[in-house]
Amino acid sequence: MELKVDQSKLSKALAIVSKVAASRATLPILNNVLIKVVKNKVTLTATNLDMAIIDYLPVSSSKDGEITVPARLLADFVANLPKGDIEISSKDTKVTISSSKYQSVINGSDVSDFPELPEINEKKAVIFKVPVEDFKNGVSSVKIAASNDMTRPALTGIYFNTNESVLCVAATDGYRLAEKKLISDVKSEVKAIVPASTVTEVLSSISEETEEVEILFDESQVCFRMGEIEVTSKYIDGSFPDYRKLIPENMEVDLNLKKSELLRVTKLAALFAKEVGGSIILETSKSDGVLKVSSVINEFGENTSEIEVKVSQDTKVILNSRYLLDALNVLDSEDVKVGISGNLQPIKIENKKSLDYVHIIMPLKG
Amino acid sequence: MFDVWKNVLEQIKHQISNEKFATYFNKTSLEGVENGVAKIGVPNIFMQINVRKNFDKLIRAALKNNNIDFSDTEYVITNNDNKVRKSREIFSTSELKNKSETKRYLSNSPRISSNGLIPEYTFDNFIVGTNNDLAVYTAKEVVDDPGGKRNPFFLYGKSGVGKTHLIQAIGNELLKKNPNLKILYTPINHFYSDFISAIRSKNPDSWKPKYMNLDVLIIDDFQLIAEKDKSQIEFFNIFNDMHLSKRQIIVASDRLPEEIKEVDTRLASRLTQKGAYDIQLPGYEERYAILQAKAEYNGVEIEPQAIEYIAENVKTNIRDLNSEYEKLIAFAELRGMTPLEVINSGFSRPSVSTSRKNTTAKKIIDKTAKYYDMTTETMLSKSRVAHIKNARQVAMYLLQNELGLSTTKTATELGLKDHTTVMNGVKRIKNEMKMNFKLREDINILQEKIYS
Repeated sequence: MELKVDQSKLSKALAIVSKVAASRATLPILNNVLIKVVKNKVTLTATNLDMAIIDYLPVSSSKDGEITVPARLLADFVANLPKGDIEISSKDTKVTISSSKYQSVINGSDVSDFPELPEINEKKAVIFKVPVEDFKNGVSSVKIAASNDMTRPALTGIYFNTNESVLCVAATDGYRLAEKKLISDVKSEVKAIVPASTVTEVLSSISEETEEVEILFDESQVCFRMGEIEVTSKYIDGSFPDYRKLIPENMEVDLNLKKSELLRVTKLAALFAKEVGGSIILETSKSDGVLKVSSVINEFGENTSEIEVKVSQDTKVILNSRYLLDALNVLDSEDVKVGISGNLQPIKIENKKSLDYVHIIMPLKG
Repeated sequence: MFDVWKNVLEQIKHQISNEKFATYFNKTSLEGVENGVAKIGVPNIFMQINVRKNFDKLIRAALKNNNIDFSDTEYVITNNDNKVRKSREIFSTSELKNKSETKRYLSNSPRISSNGLIPEYTFDNFIVGTNNDLAVYTAKEVVDDPGGKRNPFFLYGKSGVGKTHLIQAIGNELLKKNPNLKILYTPINHFYSDFISAIRSKNPDSWKPKYMNLDVLIIDDFQLIAEKDKSQIEFFNIFNDMHLSKRQIIVASDRLPEEIKEVDTRLASRLTQKGAYDIQLPGYEERYAILQAKAEYNGVEIEPQAIEYIAENVKTNIRDLNSEYEKLIAFAELRGMTPLEVINSGFSRPSVSTSRKNTTAKKIIDKTAKYYDMTTETMLSKSRVAHIKNARQVAMYLLQNELGLSTTKTATELGLKDHTTVMNGVKRIKNEMKMNFKLREDINILQEKIYS
């Protein structure tokens, strides 16, 4: 195998691919990246057997063949080489990498042990194309609500689902829930849970040149295509809660607030709420026309801030300040709408203008 | 316990490297042997491909050594993630089927087909109770003899009581009996907008193909029919055409045609010439049965007390009932609690709109007497004069239906000694309501009044 490639292009590709090649995998071959050359087409592949990533590499010249090389070592080495062309060649399992004055030989290993990867059946797969900005904003704004609790696998994923011809993504950890509408007028239907870790990888593989993300849902695997890069992943088997039922339609009180102002007072209250698990109290007063944000009184003291706002009714709810901060941080507009329906009822946070994102936080018991 | 897979793994372990074994066999299982095929459970598609590719020979040999009788192997993706890996004994096939069920769903076409029918609406999952038995019975007659003696079939009832479900069920059942039938289900306003856009377009007859040559036409939300204009005339023409050629028409509406002021009297009388059948709001027993059936149908585990709680608290209609139930189940799934635990934790509270304002026995009795233009004393007297007796029985019916009072309690409230009087009275009202429009109207009005 032989190939000649630009240093910066190779380095960028290796940086992305080597993240999937777990550096502490039990099975040594999983630490390796597979370099494959077929008719001037070069691919770099890595997998952890939950997902795989493939990067198509533009090369100036090549000779067919394939080899696997420890991904981390190769990535770090190439990153430190000067700009310009790099030549890579392999003989048996010895891989020689040379660039003007630098040369090194890395011990690779045979490809026969490298896992075979699933292929997408494009004829059968359900395919959606999402503009890259919509994908990035949408998916990262729901991902924060996904759970880390491995005893409830279904909640550790991002739920891709269609509803009334709209493709949505949703995530929940049981205490909060976020949904974003990605694209409308879709003709196909899907309900599938994709591991949050896959989605993280997809997000970090998006580059400036990426224009859209093509998502292919197949029977047992899903594939995200972003230009030259392809991430294939398993699904999480299980059923996702029928979350739409949990999004309240009408709230007792709707507050139109400035995000920065609410963020500031929430942070202040959160400072005092550390000892009480982050519990803070949101309270509206109709007669005073304020939203009061305060910490639950504890040994460190207490904190109360007020925001002037039009209030239709008195109400009060206790919730975890961290969840409120998380939610506010992912909203993309300064004008936000916060709905409260009293004690023990979830609060709802939306952008004031675009209603395609909704975030629900379950209350704490007072 | 005969732990086959454990033995198989033990054997394989000695033949491959520890690293390979730990990577590829960690979450595997023997799911069963079915028709000579040994099903081996693997956690995901990557494992499926590579375990089969690399270790099928080893696995086959090890299974044979353990006296498993099989001729082929199959690798199935199972959800063994995060359960403590336990080697299993061999499952029966039925258990296997339940276990591998996941709720992932992919489809390249929308689920509702062009005839407007939603396959989920069937007679099987429609709960029959005293509030709807006559309507269901007649609907089944339509299925048995489409275009026959129940043509047209006119169904009415308040929103959210299951009209759409029932008329869709007729359509689905007819289609099951004869897949070649041309059936169209459409809300009347869709018919109307088809008609309008055709007129505005260059080809004013372009709406016709969809509605002509149908064997069965199912019209929903008839109360939304537009005023007496061309579209209504066209609908009337289609109606007459189909009716004359003995093709079935099914119409659902939230009230009787004569109560919709936009409807031409001729059309109104034609629609109900074979009677009008109604669905009433479900009582407590029906609500309980609906929820229980729904839980069974969806394979959801829910405590009887949780069903009681919802059936008790959501009194408006079936739509609200279903939505409260689904909310509860979703929340329970979300939190990893049982439905009853959710209710007891206080997080579930039926929306204000779904539970009617409170009323009292006294209010029901007084309002009923007032409605029938007599004093409470007269109504509660032992008079056997027909209209007084009727009022008294309506009060009995309302006490039971609205407050859920027992027969004995109802008797006490009305100052009666014998509870069988109440039983007979309520029975008479229930029967009478099916035939007697006036009585039904009275009760509807009273149901509003007693909560005001």
